[in-house]
Amino acid sequence: MQDIHKQAAGISRRNALKLGLGSMVAVATLGAGSRIVMAQEGQILKYISPAFSQDWSPLRGGGVPYRFNSFWNASAMYFDDKGVIQPYVVSEWTPSADFATWTFKVNPAAKFSDGSPITAADVKGSWELSSMPATKNQRIDQVLANVAGYAEVKDGKGTDITGIVAGEGTLTVTLKGPDPIFFQRLANHIAPIVKVSQARGADGNEVAEFYKPANGGINSGPFSLTEIDLDAGKLVFKPNANFFGTKPALAGIELTSVEDNVTATQMLKSGEYQAHVELVTSTMVEDLGAEFASGPTIPTAQHFWFNITRAPMDDPKVREALILAIDRDGLIKASFPNGPHAKTDTVMNSVPGEDDPAFVPYPFDAAKAKQLLSESSYGGPDRLPKLLFVGISSPANEAAAQYIAEQWRQNLGITAVDMKPQQDQYAGPDQNAVQIFRDDVGTRVPDAPSYLAGSIASSSGNAQGKMGGYKNDKVDALIADALTKPVDDPARVALAQEAQRLFRDDYCFIPWYKQTMSRWANANVKGMEKNLDWQVVAPWAISIA
Amino acid sequence: MFSHILQRLLLWIPSVLLVMLAVYALAFFGAGDPIKLIFLRAPGDVAYDPVKIEVIREQAGLNQPFIVQFGSYIWNLLHGNFGNSLTSGRSVWAMVKAAAPVSLSLGLCAMIVTALVAIPLGMIAGMKQNTKTDYFILGTAVFLWAIPAYVAGPLLMVFLIMVLPEGSVPYGWGGLLDARILLPLLVLSFQPIALILRQTRAAVIEVMSEDYVRTARAKGVPEHVVALRHILRPVLTPVVTQLGLIMITIVNGAIFVELVFGLPGLGRLTVQALTNSDYPVILAITLIGSFLVMASNLLVDVLYPLLDPRASGAKESR
Amino acid sequence: MSIADEKPTNLWTDAWKRLKRNRLAVTGLGIVFALMLVAAFGPWLTPYDFLSQNLDARNLTPSLAHPFGTDDLGRDVMSRVIYGARTAFLVAVTVTIIALLIGIILGAIAGFYGGIFDKVMMWFTDMTMSVPQLLLVVVINASLKQPVAQWMEATYLQTMNPIWRNSALADFVLVFGSMALISWPPYARLVRAQVLSIRNRPYVTATRALGLTNGIILRRYVLPNAMGPLIVAVSAGLGTAMVLESAFSFLGVGVNPPTPSWGNMISDGLRVWTNHPHLLVAPALVLAIVTVAFNFLGDGLNDALNPKGQK
Repeated sequence: MQDIHKQAAGISRRNALKLGLGSMVAVATLGAGSRIVMAQEGQILKYISPAFSQDWSPLRGGGVPYRFNSFWNASAMYFDDKGVIQPYVVSEWTPSADFATWTFKVNPAAKFSDGSPITAADVKGSWELSSMPATKNQRIDQVLANVAGYAEVKDGKGTDITGIVAGEGTLTVTLKGPDPIFFQRLANHIAPIVKVSQARGADGNEVAEFYKPANGGINSGPFSLTEIDLDAGKLVFKPNANFFGTKPALAGIELTSVEDNVTATQMLKSGEYQAHVELVTSTMVEDLGAEFASGPTIPTAQHFWFNITRAPMDDPKVREALILAIDRDGLIKASFPNGPHAKTDTVMNSVPGEDDPAFVPYPFDAAKAKQLLSESSYGGPDRLPKLLFVGISSPANEAAAQYIAEQWRQNLGITAVDMKPQQDQYAGPDQNAVQIFRDDVGTRVPDAPSYLAGSIASSSGNAQGKMGGYKNDKVDALIADALTKPVDDPARVALAQEAQRLFRDDYCFIPWYKQTMSRWANANVKGMEKNLDWQVVAPWAISIA
Repeated sequence: MFSHILQRLLLWIPSVLLVMLAVYALAFFGAGDPIKLIFLRAPGDVAYDPVKIEVIREQAGLNQPFIVQFGSYIWNLLHGNFGNSLTSGRSVWAMVKAAAPVSLSLGLCAMIVTALVAIPLGMIAGMKQNTKTDYFILGTAVFLWAIPAYVAGPLLMVFLIMVLPEGSVPYGWGGLLDARILLPLLVLSFQPIALILRQTRAAVIEVMSEDYVRTARAKGVPEHVVALRHILRPVLTPVVTQLGLIMITIVNGAIFVELVFGLPGLGRLTVQALTNSDYPVILAITLIGSFLVMASNLLVDVLYPLLDPRASGAKESR
Repeated sequence: MSIADEKPTNLWTDAWKRLKRNRLAVTGLGIVFALMLVAAFGPWLTPYDFLSQNLDARNLTPSLAHPFGTDDLGRDVMSRVIYGARTAFLVAVTVTIIALLIGIILGAIAGFYGGIFDKVMMWFTDMTMSVPQLLLVVVINASLKQPVAQWMEATYLQTMNPIWRNSALADFVLVFGSMALISWPPYARLVRAQVLSIRNRPYVTATRALGLTNGIILRRYVLPNAMGPLIVAVSAGLGTAMVLESAFSFLGVGVNPPTPSWGNMISDGLRVWTNHPHLLVAPALVLAIVTVAFNFLGDGLNDALNPKGQK
């Protein structure tokens, strides 16, 4: 005791400093050592997000966070990368004979991250929560539009979808009409399953930021959110110990926001980060390799849509002239010379029936285009109102729009063309004077009539907003008819193809490309395959070689 | 002096209200509806459902007339309530409280760096007018002035990623004492340094020809004494006048610097709020920006008479 | 009375002599003059059509046929840079002239008349300065561009005068008009400060005693005295306006494609600069050279115009 005291008193200032430095070195070494030990236990996937998203609620059905949904949320079912439907929270589904009532069996093993079982009431509640207007889910229509009682909830007139009845381990869903592919509409992460008692308030609305760890966020997917700093744009995910599926291979995921794409590309190239949520650059393939950009083509396609109510697009001859004047092989070469996306001629792509031998692609015929323009009610290029493109926001969009404008200048003599990024908002029913919208259309189910119902049917947002209220009764009737046919009935595809051919003759769009759902992950990251829902199919299988 | 400050503060209130009204009106009537934007800006397979959107707008109080909305916003503001973001639902106060310190400390540091670098160099350049030293200093300053922050930023950033070992890339924010602040600080200071340096130089040249400076030099007073005793104070006058301008340069530069270096500050928040047409956030940022510039102008007013007795004499004689 | 009698012509001749001795300033003047020529005669100087594309010659590095290379659509970058000079020059001049005029008038009134005028003017100046510039421009741009474009299109269809079809014009009027409307305060503050510091100088007090009006005092004493700092500010302002235009293009609110501007060329170049550095270097370098030229010219003018500044 005495000795120790003596010693302590005898420490000189210099020695104290030495001791301090020494302990710092020791701590630093130990710290580094412990990091190495951690790394051996399992790998951390370092992920880049292209936006500082301020809202990571899994219930929005859109935005950048949506693309990350499958990492931490379970859905009813899901499509694998081959397009085959797989059970998840829901293990069995049986339609009634007329396809108007469906019974779903909830997987009895399904658990939340707190260990509590996922009940039928949780599934029903999650769907209702996603339907509430205040939740602002962008795509819930695609899932539940046909369910009895859905409309009341989404219009704010109720909190209970009467068509869904939660029983003991089963759900019975009554539809407004027959829908042979209703089960497919549930196989996505638009309305993931959340613990209703925690996520839903007494008024039926979402509890603000319920998903945050600080608020005791409970989730259902393979990983759980453990840290979130919305202001800094940093999120950390760790494996969910109570996950009811395959145990995740990764030790964790760190997500950082990097808004500058060139910086992000360099960080991926250097190995600092290994994956990206959505990287859109014109040089992705040459920068990061074909493996990074590879993936399945999904039922989504980018086109330039004509607003047929605005001059000069109100004249079908002008529309035809504008389409025929474009060499569309050049269009894809100007925008995606190295892929990953491929040229297309049709509205619908990557669904059964996409190949239609009877469909005649728009030819490139400058002479005929010129003649059509002079025959039109505008008589030629000079009297044509200025053509305005919107949605020209990425380098590839810009290259494509400029290519189109140049083709029109060369082949038709049109010089008055303008293009705007999305910061100027023109879209929607209250749009003004815009003739051409660049936007994608697609579906979350591998089904031809559903694809067309969401893109060219007069009830679709695309027809109403972007095509200025396009309505062709024959097209509508064919699509409506096709939607009632069973999946294995060839008429389902044939009717859709006929609708698409009729639409083609209305000359309302410039076909551009069909989308590839890239892995956006370095070659050493395995298991990053995505599906038509833009989700990583099996986040639990991801590993780093 | 105290009453003067009070007066300025009182005058600031109507002006900031007017500015906020203007910004609100422009955003409200032109830039688009934040709720519609959520659905419209998403890629194509989103159903644009006018009924549902109207319900959401109603719940958010966006269907009310412009003046009612603006009035209730101001009313809430007076009660210390900044409202919630219309797109993310987060409390605007929380967002601003997290972002403002980042931008403010960065901006303040940039100002200090600017003053410490630019004023001495500008004085040297001015006192050695038309010599090699002058040309070198001026040339460097002008070169820095000519490279916009958003070009210098990414170039330096990618250069560092290529050069530095894995894991040490200076990306993100760790406070003022973190080494990662160096690069953004440097990029942010380029333009203000050039601005102040040139102003200082021009002022020095002017003051150098004043009689009292000539007399002092003729009497053989050492150059550094002349510089500190006779030149520095009159030179600071026009420089201090530029304080507001520097503030604006830094605020503008901060937007790009924050985007490139991943700093969670007000600049990034601004860009995000603008693209989403998120009025409550836009207005809160306008308020802060306006306050900052007002405060720096107030500082100019307070410092001005101290530096230039003639100006204060003018004020008193009124 | 000798100061009042000094002929302005002498001042300018002397200034010119002094300017000629300053090599940097003369270089700057030469570059600015060249820019004006290029801006005026650009369309006749370009080796290629600035719009015509060649997809088989994309992203070519600089060569004899294409001194600055070609861009992602196979367009000749040099032709686009030359055409962009016109855009840049228009931007700089429009913004600066408007801002300067407003600044001088308001600043002089404030400084001279003092009292309530000063208070109101300064209040107005502070208010304008307190708006975050980029924010205001982006908001104005987003909200007013569309109505103006529609109005111009309607006018075109009535008059068939192609000037209304010039989309760059619409961008200038709005973006840079609004820029000008918020960038005058520095000039106003500068002029006011000069007025304040000169107002009570003995010779000015003396001239006032002689019955000279404020207008004459303004023209004879205040403006020539304020000329040095003002010209520095203007020369910087011209450069700044060009840089700001490119900043707006970077944020996506500048001049829209396919009209070439150095700003949108730089922001396009920034996206691919690790792969095709020439696409960034060419416009950025030209912009830097021109900005530097304006600055050297401004500094030279300042030294030359300030008769007391000579050694």
